[in-house]
Amino acid sequence: MTNTPAILTRSLTKSYGQVEALRGLDLVVQRGEIFGFLGPNGAGKTTTIRCLLDLIRPDGGTASVLGLDPQADPVGVRSRVGYLPGELHLEDNLTGRKILRYLSALRSRAVDWDGAHVLAERLRLDLDIPVKNLSKGNKQKIGLVQALVHKPELLLLDEPTSGLDPLVQQEVLALLREAKADGATVFFCSHIMSEVEAVAERVGIIRRGQLVEVADTAALIDRAVHHVKVRFQSAVDDHALDDVPGVTVLSHEDPQNVTVKVEGEMDALIKALAGFPVTRLETTRASLEDVFLAYYQSDEVSAEDS
Amino acid sequence: MKAVFLYTLLRFRGRIVAWGLALGALGLLVVPFYNVYLEQEEQMLQLIENYPPEVMAFFGGTADIMSPEGFLDGQMSTLPLILGIFAVLAGSALLATDEESGRLDLILAHPVSRLSLFGGRLAAFVAATIAILTVCWLGFCIPLSGSSLGVSWGQMALPFLSVLAVVLAFGTLALLLSMMLSSRRKAAATSGGLMAAGFFLSGLSNLNADLAPFARLLPYEYFQGGAAIHGLNLVWLGGLLAASCVFSALAGWRFQRRDIRVGGEGSLGIDHLAFLSRLRRSLSG
Repeated sequence: MTNTPAILTRSLTKSYGQVEALRGLDLVVQRGEIFGFLGPNGAGKTTTIRCLLDLIRPDGGTASVLGLDPQADPVGVRSRVGYLPGELHLEDNLTGRKILRYLSALRSRAVDWDGAHVLAERLRLDLDIPVKNLSKGNKQKIGLVQALVHKPELLLLDEPTSGLDPLVQQEVLALLREAKADGATVFFCSHIMSEVEAVAERVGIIRRGQLVEVADTAALIDRAVHHVKVRFQSAVDDHALDDVPGVTVLSHEDPQNVTVKVEGEMDALIKALAGFPVTRLETTRASLEDVFLAYYQSDEVSAEDS
Repeated sequence: MKAVFLYTLLRFRGRIVAWGLALGALGLLVVPFYNVYLEQEEQMLQLIENYPPEVMAFFGGTADIMSPEGFLDGQMSTLPLILGIFAVLAGSALLATDEESGRLDLILAHPVSRLSLFGGRLAAFVAATIAILTVCWLGFCIPLSGSSLGVSWGQMALPFLSVLAVVLAFGTLALLLSMMLSSRRKAAATSGGLMAAGFFLSGLSNLNADLAPFARLLPYEYFQGGAAIHGLNLVWLGGLLAASCVFSALAGWRFQRRDIRVGGEGSLGIDHLAFLSRLRRSLSG
């Protein structure tokens, strides 16, 4: 049973009227990994999570969470999952403490107050203030505490750091790493590429309801486009780098300075430059954001072409 | 289900106190008036005779207005309508308010089945309605010792059972409509409208017999009022409770099967379009 993936979907489809939110989503998230799920608004991220929790029913395909079918055994799935919705709404008149007490009662267990207090302290959250008097960030912290406090096997987090200040964001990322270290699987959606890059071992990019890329985060970034500025000691022919594989000359400001775009590995460029007197080489490190934008910009171009 | 029930009942506590005390106070004020009625019987009858006959017919005629059941009938005739407001608002909000606000997502992400959530909340709604009516009943019973009504506490409970059955019918209808219509507000407005229509149709059918078949379609027609102190019409009571069970079962079935809306979404439109969309795809494919 524990060999089954934490999340497995096959040809998952879901439509809202004319809008196809999921178009045959095939997704595998292995146990014990931190998986970042990327996509712009409306790409299908939240729909995926809501299908996994049986909050909505897919039109077609299959889904499995921790080896269980969410439609056949929703209670079994939810008892092992911690969930943070993208749009968190809490009862205004209750305090964080009362919310935790109620949600724990739904799990038929008492609140692990020691754990809750530790989490609240780390997130700088006062559990005794009514929700109506809390900022968006502090409400988000209650959402995080309720998702984490019962130490679930799988965390489904939709924009976990939304509304949080940078210091608390870092603490949240640390909590996710600790959850993974304790054996949990973390599946989270985010728009903040830097945090996905910081914690996710693998990322999936969803576009218009389909998974267009799944890869190790580092490998994905390595495959991304790099920009390189080269300064030569003396003038070099304008076309000297034209034939280097994977290299596109972006600008040649003067005979001594050139800016190029490199797709994939840098090896060919380095070897080509070895034949010239180079005084300075500046490389801009590609980020996950570059990869993400590349997918969506190419999508826009193809949409315009069609 | 126990946690859901207790938590929902806790949310009802303010309304139980407010509605219970208000309606109980009504009983404390109304019941002692029966003695005044008897003391001034001639003037009362004269006053009643001066009313337009249509008005008296609307409220069920004048024949036994001075009898205990006739007096109670007059005082309790609007009770299902008044408490019906609570029932319609509470029934329509039982799940839809949390769903529209997005809170249901978080609750249903916990290990509680939809059926348990539905059952727990419905049970809390029924318990809250019973609690309000119990306080109200006490308000009607406490002055009985000094009253010439000659009605026991047990007898006084019978009209309240009839009120309960009518109110539950409207509350569960509102719950069902909240599971079918695109917003809680529409469900409350529709069921509230039907409740008011039932009240007026029932009264107007005393003036125009052609309206009687329509009045019989709505629960208010089966409210026994003061006449219940001499024995409940079990067929009516059973019919109303059966209607509540049917409305509840349909609402539960619908809740079990449908998608939980993201806050602010309408369900009917989305489900309806999704159905048409699937139908079109299956026809074309």
